[in-house]
Amino acid sequence: MSTMQRLTRAELMKLTTTRMPWAFLLVLLVMGAINAATVAFGTDMDGSKAFVSTAADQQSLVAFAVNATMIAGLFGAIAAAREYAHLTVIPTFLSDPMRRRAVGAQLVAIATGGAVLGAVGAGITIAAVAATLPTTEYGFLIPALDVVRVIAASAFCGAVGAVLGAGIGVVVRNVGGAVTGAVLVLIVAPPMLVQLINSTASWIPASLALDLSGVETEVTAPAAVAALLAWALVPAAVGAFAVRHRDVA
Amino acid sequence: MTGRALVVDHVTKRYGARTVVDDLSFEVAPGRVTGFLGPNGSGKSTTMKILLGLAAADGGTTRIGDRPYVELDAPNATVGAALETNAFHPGRSGRDHLRILARAAGVPEPRVDESLATAGLADSGERRAGTYSLGMRQRLGLAAALLCDPPVLVLDEPGNGLDPQGIRELRDLLRHRAGRGDTVFVSSHLLGEVELLVDDVVVIDHGRLITAGPLAELRHETALVRSPHADRLGVALREMGAVVERAPDAPDATDAATGLLLVRGVSLGEIGHAAFTAGVELSELATRSGSLEDLFMQWTHQQATDAVPGVDAVAVAPEEKEVMA
Repeated sequence: MSTMQRLTRAELMKLTTTRMPWAFLLVLLVMGAINAATVAFGTDMDGSKAFVSTAADQQSLVAFAVNATMIAGLFGAIAAAREYAHLTVIPTFLSDPMRRRAVGAQLVAIATGGAVLGAVGAGITIAAVAATLPTTEYGFLIPALDVVRVIAASAFCGAVGAVLGAGIGVVVRNVGGAVTGAVLVLIVAPPMLVQLINSTASWIPASLALDLSGVETEVTAPAAVAALLAWALVPAAVGAFAVRHRDVA
Repeated sequence: MTGRALVVDHVTKRYGARTVVDDLSFEVAPGRVTGFLGPNGSGKSTTMKILLGLAAADGGTTRIGDRPYVELDAPNATVGAALETNAFHPGRSGRDHLRILARAAGVPEPRVDESLATAGLADSGERRAGTYSLGMRQRLGLAAALLCDPPVLVLDEPGNGLDPQGIRELRDLLRHRAGRGDTVFVSSHLLGEVELLVDDVVVIDHGRLITAGPLAELRHETALVRSPHADRLGVALREMGAVVERAPDAPDATDAATGLLLVRGVSLGEIGHAAFTAGVELSELATRSGSLEDLFMQWTHQQATDAVPGVDAVAVAPEEKEVMA
C-alpha cells in the first residue's frame, strides 16, 4: 500500500470516528423531513399541489445539489480546521513531513465525505418526497435516469463544497472562522458578485449545481463541472500552499 | 535498529523581531537519555519542532542521523515524538486516535493495543480522549510515540501530570530504551525527576546554548572559592577567561573581604595559580556539586544579579565537595 493510500485511509478514519458525521446526518434528515412536510402540507397560491404536478417540478424539488454544496462546505471547513484546533495535524505532518501527500490525502478524504453527504442527502430527500407524494393526487414522476442524475450531481457538488470548505479551513485554521468563511464564500458572496457583475449569475455555485441536476440549462454539464472544480480548487490550492510554507504552532 | 544522533547545527529561529532560537548547536547521542532544559520560553519546544520539520529554521540545520527529518524514508518508524499534551480530538477514543496513526504509518493494528498496554492505557482505550486526565493524555502521547517502536524518541515534557507511579514507569521505560541503544531526548521542568533519568543535559536560555554534556561532569565543573580579596581575585580570574559569579545569599556576601565566588571555565589548579600570581589569599577552594535545580538556576541566571567589580552574582546554596584548600 502506498503512502498516499495509507494517509487517505487514516484521514477517512478521522472523519468517521467522531460524532460529526452523525450531526450532519441529522441535518440531512431534518431537511428530508422539511421536504416531506412541504409535499404533504404545502400548496400553491391557489391551494393546489401544482408544484409537484410534473416530473420537472418534482425534480426541481429534490435537486439537493445546491444544499449539498453548502452543507458539505461547512463539513469540509470544520473537518479541516479542527485538525489545527486540536493539533492532530502534528502527528499527520510527522507521518508525512513534506506535507504534500498529507494535504492531498486530507482533501481526498474530505471530498469523499462531502460526496457521501451529498448523495445521502439527495437520497433522503428523494425518499422523503416519494414517500409523501401518495398524500397528494400525484405519483412519483421523475424518470430513473434523472433520479440518478440528481444524486450524482448532489454527490459531485458535495465533494466540491467540501473541498472548498477544506481549503478555507486550512487557511483559517479556526473552526468558527472557517465556518464563517465558508458561509461567506458559498452563501453571502455569490449574490453580491452577481449584483456587481450580472453576467456571473450563471457561474455561481448554486446556479451551476442546478445545471448539473438538470433543473436549469444555462450552462452545459461539462462547463458546470469545470466551473465548480475551479470554485473548489482555488481555495484548496491556496490552503495547500499555506500548509507547505507555514510552521505548525 | 539502533538510535541515531540528533544534530542541531547553528539553528536560528525568529518570529518577527523576536529571536527565539539563537545560533543553537548541540548533539544528542544514541544510547543515552538526554534532558533538554531551559526556563519557560527559552526555545525548547521550538527547537524540537524545527528538529522534526514542524517549523522552519531561519538559519542552520538539524539532522536525525545523517539527514533532516523531512528527508527520512520512514519518519514514523525512525522517530517517535510527543510534543503536545492535547494533540488529539477530544471526541475520539484513545484507541481510535492510535488506530488512525497506525493506519497513516502502515503499522498493523495489534501494535495499537500493545502501545496502549505499554503506556498503561489498556483499560481506557475505548474512552473518549477528552475525558482523560492530564496524566492519561501524557500516556496517550507516549503510546503514540511508541507505536512504530522507533529507535529515536523526542518527548516534550512527558512527565507533566503523571502520578509518582507513572513517572517511575516513564523513567524505567526511557532508561530501558536508552539501554538498548535508542536515542532519547526529553525536555522537562521536573528537575528532580530529570536528575534521576538523564545521562546528558542540554541547557538553553533565551534560545542560546548555556551548557551541554554529561550531567555527572557538569556537576563538577564549577569551583567554589572563598577569599578575603574576592574582588581582586574575580578580576584576575576574568582576565584569564573564567566565568566568575558571587553567591549573594552567602552569609558574608556583602563583605567583599571574605567573598564567596563560583568560578567556571578554569581548573582548580588554574584558580590556585591565578590567586598565587595576584598575591591573593585563598581560604577555601573546592569543586562545587549542587542539585540539578541549583545548577539549573545557576546556568540560567534566574536569580537577580548582584554584581561586584569583575563578579556577577548568582543565588545558589552550594554543597562543597573535594575540598582542596
